[in-house]
Amino acid sequence: MDHAQFRLIIPSQTRYLNLVTGLAKRASLVAGLDDAAAAKVSIAVDEAVTNVILHAYGGEGEHSVELELRFTEQALEIHIWHSGLGIRGDQMVLPDPKEYIKHPRKGGLGLLLMSRFMDEVQFKADEVSGLNECCLIKKIS
Amino acid sequence: MADLSISVRQVGDVAVLLPAGFINAHTVRDFEDALEKLVQDGRYMILVNCKDLNYISSAGLGAIMGLIETVREHEGDILLSNLQDNVFAIFDTLGFTQLYRVFSDEEQAMAAASSERQS
Repeated sequence: MDHAQFRLIIPSQTRYLNLVTGLAKRASLVAGLDDAAAAKVSIAVDEAVTNVILHAYGGEGEHSVELELRFTEQALEIHIWHSGLGIRGDQMVLPDPKEYIKHPRKGGLGLLLMSRFMDEVQFKADEVSGLNECCLIKKIS
Repeated sequence: MADLSISVRQVGDVAVLLPAGFINAHTVRDFEDALEKLVQDGRYMILVNCKDLNYISSAGLGAIMGLIETVREHEGDILLSNLQDNVFAIFDTLGFTQLYRVFSDEEQAMAAASSERQS
């Protein structure tokens, strides 16, 4: 497959989540992943974009979330950029599922799902553009 | 079609909730409201039949997590049935199948709820 990429920019509103996750699922199938893996990519993208909308932008709907899908022979990469509050990789603290089950509470599961369902999850900040990025990578086996 | 529609019916002591569509950060409030209303009405034995649920994100899991202690304090529970593969994968990956009782169909879930009431 030729390397290809395309971009989608959405308003920072949860009403567009379904659109984005549908796209992620279809892109995964095009990349060669099976249905189960495509569903997992879709969930991971949902969680990442939800984090941007609700946490990075604090639920404010007038901002933009930019997604880029990159297809290579080895992997599907989904890059998500935003100008809200960023987190660094070393701030990514995953809840312990065993502890979570002992002490149920709301929240904290999105990052865990992202890390379980993708092969790589990276958080970066671009000092030049001022944008923050979440990069999700799923390898094509 | 709406992203999510929810219907509720009562079967004996069990309130059966049927979400249809997608539960994500956009629709979770409706799901949460439906669960909270059952709890407010004192209906603590709840079965979520997921046969028409195509998708659930952590927002939906959080809604269930937020009420599990309350219903169990009142000798109720939240049971799950008819999970599609991708929905089951989310629960299972996070180890939540240890926390919730998951049944392959509604009939089995109702039988379990019924035998629990008799014990």
